[in-house]
Amino acid sequence: MVKRFCIVIGVILSLMVMVSCAKKAVKEEPLVTGKAEEKAWGKPGEEAERARIEEKSLEASLERKKYPGIEGVFLESSLLKDIHFGFDQYNLTPEARKILSQNTELLLKHPRVKIQIEGHCDERGTIEYNLALGERRAHTTKGYLISLGVSPDKISSISYGEEMPIDPRYNEGAWAKNRRAHFIILSK
Amino acid sequence: MHLRQIFLLACLLWTFIGAESGWTRVYIDIASPELQPLPIAIAQFEDRGRSKPNLGREIMKILTNDLTISGFFEIIPRSVFPQESNAIADPPDYKIWSPSRAEALVTGGYSSREGQFAIEFRLFDLVDKAFLGGKRYKGSTKGLRNIIHRVANEITYLITGEKGIFDTKIAFVSTMTGNKEVYTIDFDGHNLRQITNNGSINLSPAWSPDGRIIAFTSYIKRNPDLYLFDLTRSAQVRLSTNPGLNAAPAWSPDGTKMALMMRKEGNAEIFIINRDGTHPKRLTKSWSSEASPTWSPDGRKIAFVSDRAGSPQIYTMDRGGKNMKRLTFSGRYNASPSWSLKGNRIAYCGRMDGRFEIFTISPDGMWIRRLTEYSGNNESPTWSPDGRFIAFSSTREGRSHIYVMNANGANQRRLTSTRGKESSPTWSPRMDR
Repeated sequence: MVKRFCIVIGVILSLMVMVSCAKKAVKEEPLVTGKAEEKAWGKPGEEAERARIEEKSLEASLERKKYPGIEGVFLESSLLKDIHFGFDQYNLTPEARKILSQNTELLLKHPRVKIQIEGHCDERGTIEYNLALGERRAHTTKGYLISLGVSPDKISSISYGEEMPIDPRYNEGAWAKNRRAHFIILSK
Repeated sequence: MHLRQIFLLACLLWTFIGAESGWTRVYIDIASPELQPLPIAIAQFEDRGRSKPNLGREIMKILTNDLTISGFFEIIPRSVFPQESNAIADPPDYKIWSPSRAEALVTGGYSSREGQFAIEFRLFDLVDKAFLGGKRYKGSTKGLRNIIHRVANEITYLITGEKGIFDTKIAFVSTMTGNKEVYTIDFDGHNLRQITNNGSINLSPAWSPDGRIIAFTSYIKRNPDLYLFDLTRSAQVRLSTNPGLNAAPAWSPDGTKMALMMRKEGNAEIFIINRDGTHPKRLTKSWSSEASPTWSPDGRKIAFVSDRAGSPQIYTMDRGGKNMKRLTFSGRYNASPSWSLKGNRIAYCGRMDGRFEIFTISPDGMWIRRLTEYSGNNESPTWSPDGRFIAFSSTREGRSHIYVMNANGANQRRLTSTRGKESSPTWSPRMDR
């Protein structure tokens, strides 16, 4: 049953790919048949095109930022999503893993991008133990990205403990938002 | 057990020394948890120069406040002093004092001229009719508060055998400028001084044992690096820059080393570095997080936090990292240990019914005592150098402020009132030595 379902999905997917390729070939290179052929086979020209589009979407997602009192400017991408943790936890929830694989996809497409993973905590607990906990959250996150194929030398990590809440309120909703790993782009 | 023996021995020794120096009785047994304050009369100090009219009142205010805060003394109000003029003569007419509750009398004089200030005090035992001692101090008028604190230190010494801590300070972190900067404040809540002014995140100030340097962590260079601030020269150096944490510094009692949290293999471990930042030595090796080291006063042990058993708990180990021992077993969150300079207690904060409270425990893991039971979170305990007070942060009045209490939890009072959130108090060593 499952197998049949997979086959159906596979067929649909490949059809979609073929259709989109055909469309592009017709639209962009209608006269040069040789090149159109190359494209139909998924050759480098098309990959470069796709990369260009993705580069554009990464570019569009970027925002220049600076933390007060901390040297240097950096970039933030709306495509690199935060993940969240349970109270006093640093293990990755299924939801966090899903987000991390999406983040990984983006990073693998842009291998020059260097990121820093920030481990953050909610305000409960001691300042110093939260520094340790933030370290742990950042490290676990980094480890997962590496396991998905991101190069270790493209990832650094830092713990901000409870020092940078995004929601300063004193309630469960705010705390849940603040217990997070956040991604910034140091260079690209 | 060993510590208790040392303590008993110290008490015995003390009795002998006390007897030798001609003491006729123990005025206050400072080791007793339920000590009876000594009723003391403080006569108006005599103006021996033509000082500012309000100076005498200011001196009395500082001195009375110090001696009251100490908990050793009950200040007898001047309205119930005997009226006779020779009541405060030198020596006083002891007969006149006999109906009074006062058991000791302080007299003295001062002068203030051209920016210079001098003060002299004399202390008398009204029960045994004896002169106990006195001293003269000189200094600039600017340092007046500090000179009076030293008078209070000396009076405390003459009564208890141990100097007071009235000239000590407390370093802490406040967000009053919008970010976390390090400040210091006198023991009595005066003299607020901003130490760091870099606009960054500054954490965990720690005094060197000579009181001259404050170590702290700052994020100035996008890494929690360790910095030293020299208080006498107002100069700062960056000391430890290991990628990852260089946090929660704790000076060894001899001032040659610091224990701190550093990143190793992706988690925080306890390290020791030399005072100049060199020779990092790793003390803990685990897959868990380690935090908040604090030295025993003999420099042989370090207490710290570890979550190796699944939740943050307090542990002790030798300074070499051997003989690890878990101290706390009740509750799911115990952290922020601070080893008393007397060696006999470790203060920490623990989560209870959803709130953080201050506790103390003996270094062998026995005799837990809960010190706070107010609303709000109570965190970051730190001991006064005489082991009689604990400063801590609390949110009991809304925003987090610094509070001080007796080591048994009595007399809890707010120390600071800056506009920001205050955290991470650390008590200075004695400056008067």
